This record gives sequence, C-alpha cells and structure tokens, in this order.
Amino acid sequence: MRSMLIVALALLPVCAALADAPDTAASPRGIGAKDYVWNRMTPEQVEVLRKTGDAARGREAFRGCRGCHRSDGFGRVDGIYPKLTGQHAAVIIKQVTDIRAGVRINPKMEPFSSDHAVSPQEIADIAAFLAAETTIKENGKGPGDQVRVGEQIYTQRGCFKCHGRRGEGNEEKMYPAVAAQHYSYLLREMQLIKLEARGNSHPDMVTVLRDFSTADLEAVADYLSRMPDHRQARAPEGGK
Amino acid sequence: MIRTGRAPASRSGRRRAGHPSKPALFLMLGLLASASMPLAAQAQGTGPNPLCAACHNPDGNSTIPENPKLAGLDAEYIAKQLADFRKHKRVSETMGPMAGQITEADIDVLAAYYSEQKPTPGVVTDPKLAAQGQVIYDEGIVGSAVPACSGCHNEDGSGTAKYPRLAGQHTAYMVQQMKNFKNGVRNNDIREVMSAVAKRMTEQEMKAVAEYIAGLKGGNP
Repeated sequence: MRSMLIVALALLPVCAALADAPDTAASPRGIGAKDYVWNRMTPEQVEVLRKTGDAARGREAFRGCRGCHRSDGFGRVDGIYPKLTGQHAAVIIKQVTDIRAGVRINPKMEPFSSDHAVSPQEIADIAAFLAAETTIKENGKGPGDQVRVGEQIYTQRGCFKCHGRRGEGNEEKMYPAVAAQHYSYLLREMQLIKLEARGNSHPDMVTVLRDFSTADLEAVADYLSRMPDHRQARAPEGGK
Repeated sequence: MIRTGRAPASRSGRRRAGHPSKPALFLMLGLLASASMPLAAQAQGTGPNPLCAACHNPDGNSTIPENPKLAGLDAEYIAKQLADFRKHKRVSETMGPMAGQITEADIDVLAAYYSEQKPTPGVVTDPKLAAQGQVIYDEGIVGSAVPACSGCHNEDGSGTAKYPRLAGQHTAYMVQQMKNFKNGVRNNDIREVMSAVAKRMTEQEMKAVAEYIAGLKGGNP
C-alpha cells in the first residue's frame, strides 16, 4: 500500500498539470484515446487512496449501492452486477473514481457513483467495508466442463502473472481479484475489455484478450468462477 | 413536548422545533375557514401554516392524492424542496407561487414542523399491482438497470439521510413525480440520481411501485 502511495504522490504534479487541460468530455478519456495512460491517477483518486477507510461507516454509505449490488455487496449470481466483497480496497477505489472521471465506461452505474451519491471519504469507507466483508456465499458459476481448458489458458497465456495463481489479484498494482467472481460478469467484462469498450482497461489486457476466442473466454470464466474465494484459499488449512 | 416559538438555530435543532397545541390547530383551521385574513399574512414562526394546510392539511397528511403528504419527511428534504421551489429549481404550477409567499426564515420552521408530524398510512387499492411493485422495489429491474428502490429509500420506505421517505405516500403524487423526473419536468435531484432511475422505468412500472409504496409503513406500525 505504501509503495502505491509513493507512486501516487509522485504523480501529483502530473495530475495538477492535467487538471489544466481542456475538458475532453466529448471524446473518450479511456483506452483508445490518444493520450491514454493506464492508471494515470486523477487528483480525486489520489485523495481517496490517501484516506483511511472505515468499514463500519462504509456499511452505512453502501446503502446507495445496494439497490444493485445487494445489501451484502455480493451482487447477483446471474452476473448482472458483480460481487464486490473481498475485492481489494484500492481496486474498488480505482474503479469507482474511474467511472466518476468518465474513464471507465459504465452508464448503468455513473449516476450512482456521482459525488452526491458518494463523497471521496465514503468511497474509501465503502472500499474498506467491501474488502473486509467476510461473508462468503456461493457465487454464480460457469458450466464446469471447461475448467481444465480454462486453467491451461490462464497459465499458458500468463494471466496468473498479474491476477495470481489463486486469482487473488494484486492490491498494490490495482489488479483485481478475479477468483470466485460471478461467471457471467467475468465473461462480459473480458468481452468488453477485448473490444476496448470498458474504458479503463490495462493495454496488456486488451493485447492478451485480442487472441482469445469466445470459447477461450468462456473457459477462463468457467475456471475463475470455480476457484475458491481467494481469501478462503489463503486461509491455512490442514490438508486438501 | 415543550412548544417553543423560536426557530431552531442548528440542523439538529430542526427536528425539535415546536409542535402546535391542539387548540392552536383548531384556531388555525378556524382562521382558514373564515379566510378573514390574507393567507400569507398568517405565516407564523411555528406550527402549521394555513397557507400550507389548505392543500397539505394542518398535520401535513394531505388527503388530496395529487398533493404529497409532508408528515414525517426529513426536515432537510422539505427545506431543500421549499428552497428549490422559491428559486424555481423545482417547478410547479401550484407550489411555485405558494413558496414565493413564505420567507427564507419560514423554511426551516415549516420543515421542522412537518418532519415532526406522524404520517398517516397510505391506501392500496390494487394489491396485485402492489405485489408487482414490490418486486421492483426490492429487486430492481435487471433488464433495464433499474436499481432496487429499497437500496436508497430503505426496505420499509423510511428513507435515508440522503433520500426521502416514501412510505404511505399518495400513488397519484408518486407516479406524477416519477414521470416528472423521467421527462425532465422535475430535475432538482442532485446529480440526477432519481432522474437516471426514472428514465429507465415505464409508466406501468411506476404505477406498480407507487402502489407498493402506498402500503409501506416506514417505521410507523
């Protein structure tokens, strides 16, 4: 977390310069834009990351989110809305502030991630709440017959290098945990990233996914959806 | 409760601002009936304003389906709406001129008074429609990305700090407001959160939700 903050602070002057740039609301700010840089932090993102999130306050602030993500933050198993619990706090913060800044394209969520719906402090609180939420339920899973293939692809194409062998992601680098996410959500987001329609994607993700067939995407989604929750997998166990 | 005549100084004080005594209420009603004075001149520091009572009833429980019940609404929400009416940020043929007749100082007092009143239960006339409304209220509409109303307004319709109480509200008023949000007639919701929701709803869905809301208790058994 600390190294991330140092990076964030180092970027502050850059951010200040960007703030003076003309508003480009009409043009895409995300991937595809000429000057797109993955994870170029907005001043607000830096501000939120610096705050100390409070999980108890976050549970309260999450009220405005639960209309879609449900009161426990688990989303819907049909994948219409993702599971947020157990996601790294920094990842939640990045995604919400990216949507707010118009970098991640998410018209469904845009009005509800506005600064009236959630203040910067509330984003930090919500992120702390979701990251710490311990309820682990059955997520929406894929058909189950593509797990082996999915695992091969995940390994051979190097997905694990960023998202981890257990699908645990990397908080410092803001790579999301992907294990035990709802199948349909995984599939949809990978398709959006491939089509450069998600906005704030890492260019490497686009490059990697460009070569994926639909069958490949389905297999990886099947595999990830059937991984144990990365927090569960991390817990020391007697033997398995 | 002690009746005080002073306008509260702080936000927390708002809720505690004065209740009128029963006799005072009758007096107000009498004044209203006689209409011997211009209504605006009767605006006072506390209690039900006859100007408001004519349409919203002295206790804020309007019996006219097109006029909202004010009783039990959050004081801050009422104050914002009144201020918005005065500034023409919320536009209404009826309320616009009315809000123009009260002073800035009246706003907090009125807001405190109506927030303190006990809301009456709403009327459900079509339980089948209400059942359809419940699904939308609690689950949202997945296909058109309508969030569950309960997320912001609470399962029992009691509202939260940022979003108003809905429980027991008149269906006619509710449907009209949702339509107003949808077609932009009403656009005083901050950052257009409610407008975004309403734009995703059909009129039939609005009617169903309103029917369910009418039956919600909002913490009042």
